[in-house]
Amino acid sequence: MTPQTWIFLGYFAVVFGIGWYSLRATRNESDYWIAGGQLGWFTGGATMAATHTSAGTFMGVIGVMYTAGWSFGWVLVSIPLAYWFMVAVLAPRFTRQKELTIPAFIETRYYGKGIRGLAAGIILIAAIVYIQAQIVAGGLIANTVFGIPTTWGMIGFTAILLAYTVIGGMVAVVYTDAFQLVVMTLGALFAVPLALRQVDGLGALLYLVESAHPLVFTWETMPAALLFTMGLSFFLGGIATPEKLIRLYAMKDMKTIRRGVLFAIVMILALNLLVMVLALSTIVLFPSLPTGDLAMPMIATAVLPATLGAIMLAALTSAMMSTVDSLLIVAGSALSVDIYQNLIHPEVSPKRRMWVDRIGILVVGSTPVALLLSGVGEGDLVQFIVLLFTALMAAAFVLPVVGGVVWRRATREGAAAAMVGGVTATFAWEAWGAPSVEPVLCGFLASAALFVGVSLVTPPPPARALAPYFDDVNPADPA
Amino acid sequence: MTGPGVIFWGLFVACAVILVAYTVWMIRTERDE
Repeated sequence: MTPQTWIFLGYFAVVFGIGWYSLRATRNESDYWIAGGQLGWFTGGATMAATHTSAGTFMGVIGVMYTAGWSFGWVLVSIPLAYWFMVAVLAPRFTRQKELTIPAFIETRYYGKGIRGLAAGIILIAAIVYIQAQIVAGGLIANTVFGIPTTWGMIGFTAILLAYTVIGGMVAVVYTDAFQLVVMTLGALFAVPLALRQVDGLGALLYLVESAHPLVFTWETMPAALLFTMGLSFFLGGIATPEKLIRLYAMKDMKTIRRGVLFAIVMILALNLLVMVLALSTIVLFPSLPTGDLAMPMIATAVLPATLGAIMLAALTSAMMSTVDSLLIVAGSALSVDIYQNLIHPEVSPKRRMWVDRIGILVVGSTPVALLLSGVGEGDLVQFIVLLFTALMAAAFVLPVVGGVVWRRATREGAAAAMVGGVTATFAWEAWGAPSVEPVLCGFLASAALFVGVSLVTPPPPARALAPYFDDVNPADPA
Repeated sequence: MTGPGVIFWGLFVACAVILVAYTVWMIRTERDE
């Protein structure tokens, strides 16, 4: 066997080991969905950073920068600002009453099972699209490392992911995320100096890049409106994507959340900046690739020595897996807890619930690969799918979640209108709007207008819905 | 050719400034609690 195969087998062995350990540590649904709500700052921050860092970072960012230049890098600034907003404004009230899922929060705050089902449905569909994009990336890696067909690679990655996520739930996801963050950091730290050595250092790299593409270091490669709205998409998506919100419930308390998020943003910024420098080196080393998404696999196979290349590909695999496993948790819980146990079959016994939970993850995990095998959802650059998912989540959840804990007049009807209108407007803009403006702008504005407008013309929420989040409300008060 | 200049190095500086600002905010919030 080659060193690459050994590295990957070792990597998978550790991941499975963690999955097995997590099975023993998971005693109830709270453990399975939010790791018992007892994570410390290191594991909480590590899982947040690893979840944030996806194939979109290692392949997508490199891909877009390869095609569109450094100005895209400035979108990065919106990410720490989003986390800061989340910790300072949202988290203090949002975490007062811990729930197992984000749709469960929606039910508590917006006093209705139907709106919970609606939120779960949106999460389910958006997560499946997002998981598809990551699995396509996984198939490409498997093709590069093992030489197997991309299709088999996609099936293999899905099987490995499902194995540890289904058995260990959130506990498995959190600890594999921490391990995967270490692998990603090692991959980036090894790859950047070696890539720089190939081009005689950073100064020479910057000179060569600018000689080959004089517009790389200008603002002219991407329209300003597109850059701004991409930043807005990451900002809004950063605040309210369910896989990040659920980690606020998984961490112990506010002090832990503040420290965990500091650790997460340090890691996210460091990884992204390293990856962006790597992207510049691909412009010099591989000037004529057919698609930007191939830039990263090319570095791993053509620039780095075999063993380090394998570590880099393991880093990319880690990025993909650590995001997809978290999506599997939120989509699986949406299906089994929020839709099945909440709407279809509420009398499930506690013993059977854990089985239903596991089947939920199995179903949502198998669907993306099944769709891909039937030819649905292939072809787009990974980063643009990531952006569409982020835009959908932003349009659907920012107002109902943030507005729900800061504005007591927000009503169930307003939140439902915001979710449906936001998602519809995002899709409409994606299909027919100007490509120089990200769909998030249209989706978010529609969502905001409906949230405020409909809330104001419908009866105010009952006190029991506000009491968990507002100090001065007594749940027994009349509306 | 003028080199990458502000658009390149400015991104590193902006990230560092945000990190420092967050840390200061975090320390002050914990002190006030």
